[in-house]
Amino acid sequence: MKLGYLTSAALAVVITAGSAAAQDFPQRPINLIAPFNAGGGTDLLLRGLAPHFAEAIGGDAFVSNMAGGSGTVAASALQGQRPDGYQMAYMSVTVSTIQPQIKNVPYGLDSWTPICSIAASPTMLFVSADSPYQSMEDVVAAVKADPGKLVYGSSGPGAITHLTMVSAFAGLGIIDDMKHLPFQGSGPAIKELTAGNIQFFGDTELLMKRGDFRPLMVFNNARLENFPDVPTATEVGIEAPLNELYLWGGLFAPAGLEPEVTATLESACETAVASDGFQEFAANSGTIINYRGAEEFDAFYRAQYEANAGLIEAAGL
Amino acid sequence: MLSSLPEAIGILLSLEGLLVLVLGTVLGIVLGAMPGIGSTVAVAIVLPFTLTMSQAPAIILLLAVYAGSVYGGSIAAILINTPGTPQSAATCLDGYPMAQRGEAGLALGWATVASVVGGLVSAVVLIFAAPQLAAVALEFGPIETFALILLGMTCIVSVSTGSVVKGLTAGMIGIFLSTVGGDPILGEMRFTFGNWQLFAGFNLLAVVIGVFALSEVFMRASVKVSTVSELVAFNGIVLPSWQMWKGRLRNLGKSVAIGNVIGVLPGTGAATAAFISYAEGRRSSPNREGFGKGEPDGIVSSEAANNAVTGGALVPTMALGIPGDAITAVMLATLTLHGITPGPKLVEDNPTLIATIFAGFFVINLLLLPLGMLLSRVAAPILRVREAFMMTAIVILCAVGIYFVRGNPFDLLVMGGAGVVGFLLRRQGVPMAPLVIGMVLGPTLELTLRQGLILKDGNFLAFFSGHPIALVLALAAIGALSLPLIRAMRKGSAA
Repeated sequence: MKLGYLTSAALAVVITAGSAAAQDFPQRPINLIAPFNAGGGTDLLLRGLAPHFAEAIGGDAFVSNMAGGSGTVAASALQGQRPDGYQMAYMSVTVSTIQPQIKNVPYGLDSWTPICSIAASPTMLFVSADSPYQSMEDVVAAVKADPGKLVYGSSGPGAITHLTMVSAFAGLGIIDDMKHLPFQGSGPAIKELTAGNIQFFGDTELLMKRGDFRPLMVFNNARLENFPDVPTATEVGIEAPLNELYLWGGLFAPAGLEPEVTATLESACETAVASDGFQEFAANSGTIINYRGAEEFDAFYRAQYEANAGLIEAAGL
Repeated sequence: MLSSLPEAIGILLSLEGLLVLVLGTVLGIVLGAMPGIGSTVAVAIVLPFTLTMSQAPAIILLLAVYAGSVYGGSIAAILINTPGTPQSAATCLDGYPMAQRGEAGLALGWATVASVVGGLVSAVVLIFAAPQLAAVALEFGPIETFALILLGMTCIVSVSTGSVVKGLTAGMIGIFLSTVGGDPILGEMRFTFGNWQLFAGFNLLAVVIGVFALSEVFMRASVKVSTVSELVAFNGIVLPSWQMWKGRLRNLGKSVAIGNVIGVLPGTGAATAAFISYAEGRRSSPNREGFGKGEPDGIVSSEAANNAVTGGALVPTMALGIPGDAITAVMLATLTLHGITPGPKLVEDNPTLIATIFAGFFVINLLLLPLGMLLSRVAAPILRVREAFMMTAIVILCAVGIYFVRGNPFDLLVMGGAGVVGFLLRRQGVPMAPLVIGMVLGPTLELTLRQGLILKDGNFLAFFSGHPIALVLALAAIGALSLPLIRAMRKGSAA
């Protein structure tokens, strides 16, 4: 009886101490890690978010860059850190769900406490404006007429641009009759699309607008507002799980974060994303906001991890 | 666009415009001169400030830091044999020997004038010929780029002081180091031994700083007993007189042209341009005999070319919306943030902004001369400290710079390892410049070769049929390699 009383008293102390620590959170500046170089899309998004996040959480937040290995260097480094909530990385679909399934990295499905998702854009398949292909039917016919000739590009093996192409051409059953030309980043690939050395490329709407390009389909669940005439992949005849592909990203902390800390971070993220300042930033930069709370994001992330396994199989990675 | 020039000049002459021009250039020169902080990092440091600025000043600030840092890299290269940026590695080859002779001020003078001329010409070319040059960039597919890099690889021979065999060995080591990390075509990991720190390969800057700066420190520590001597005598920049330029103008013009053209081609960059230009100078300059021993033409070749790249890299960026290098990619991202979509219609839709950017770029390059001279006066007393202190300071600066870039302690290990290996190799008479060339050009050579093989279904010979540019460049590469042989044979038969 006495022992039981003591135990529960000790427990109570531990619990209040725990929540007291969580209430005091944050006491130090929070490090938002961009796994890519300064100036890239991820970096700019974090820099746009950081001041609003700091305001919402009532502390300081700063952005640091740790580029390399398609984002895996930063993720690998973060995975070994203490789960105290002071370090989070903005990870995309590729860093969190694709790279760990194709590379021998020290992190995987269960390495993270997802905090919130922030952005998601569907990808599009597009051709140069002077291309003879007006629809995906034209493309299928051309590939079948002359197998092994047409070339699709990507910003690198395993990148979202690569998976877009794989989804399209594996979904239509013509991928074995086409060539894949990887580049280092979307910039050089777009240049070769303009120059005619590759015929197809896939990226988000934002990148598509960089040049004189014509979209042939979009990997979304519905047609896009800006392109009402461009069919979805489902309409073209591509079946799940290859018919929808989003370049999404959100904040991840190492696994084992205290629930109170997670809740504090989650609510700060929600407030920051909803702030006028960030909304204006998103409108200017073409970011498509897609907020999910910690629980919802966790379920989404796990579902994506499984779904992308099929995609990786099809890509032969 | 030219009709918007008066309005553009108005923006530049405003208080914000002038402040951004001067402060940006000063900051660029200082950051560029610090070992370990390359142009990309310098631009990244000022990036957060641009978020709150209006469109034109934001881009002008980035440009000023960019151009300033490319020039600033030459200061450390000449004075302490530590290239502040990889693109200044070729400047060390003649700049440092000149400084050791006691002509540090003059060496910096050559570098300054060459940089200013290179930058100014590239600005004029950018303003008047951007659309035409952008068309050239589109002609350069993977196969053409492969042939160009092949030609660039021949500079390994020309920068191999002493033994060519040792130079080639160093070049091969450089190429090997560049293969560590992700395979560019298949994504497989190579030579990482399961260590995720190596997934991104060896950090180029860390290796460059290690083999040049740290190995130099080790060399001095191993041979010198004296601790009181000054490093180099330096009292500020001495500009070369008009007479001294006699017989050197052709080399200057050629270097500027090489820098401009290479700058326009996405995926190459300032380091490639500086080395190719240096090799060309060594081949064709009337003063070629002195290259590597402190010949001004060597400094001019490297510095005129790497600064001409800055304007060249802006050509595809502005005309096509395709970034020429990592830095212009940052600029495009900044434009996007300010609600401007980069692309083929950029110039058409934003004439005033583009006119301001172009005019600002011209002014920045003019500013390099007075600001460079001013800053070198400030820097001169620093160099008068004892060598032992200076060497310690260099080690600290390098370490801080390298750690600062990614906050990754592993990069410090790479730098230290490169320093030790570089020291051991240099003691055996192996030159370090070829190693850097191998590491800079290796990845592009491999990527474009394999891209070409995919396009041509594995037929290497098909590279040169139907690709006239590639054929000419490949023949030039063969010529560059066989020229010394032919010369030697002629000498032999004459005697």
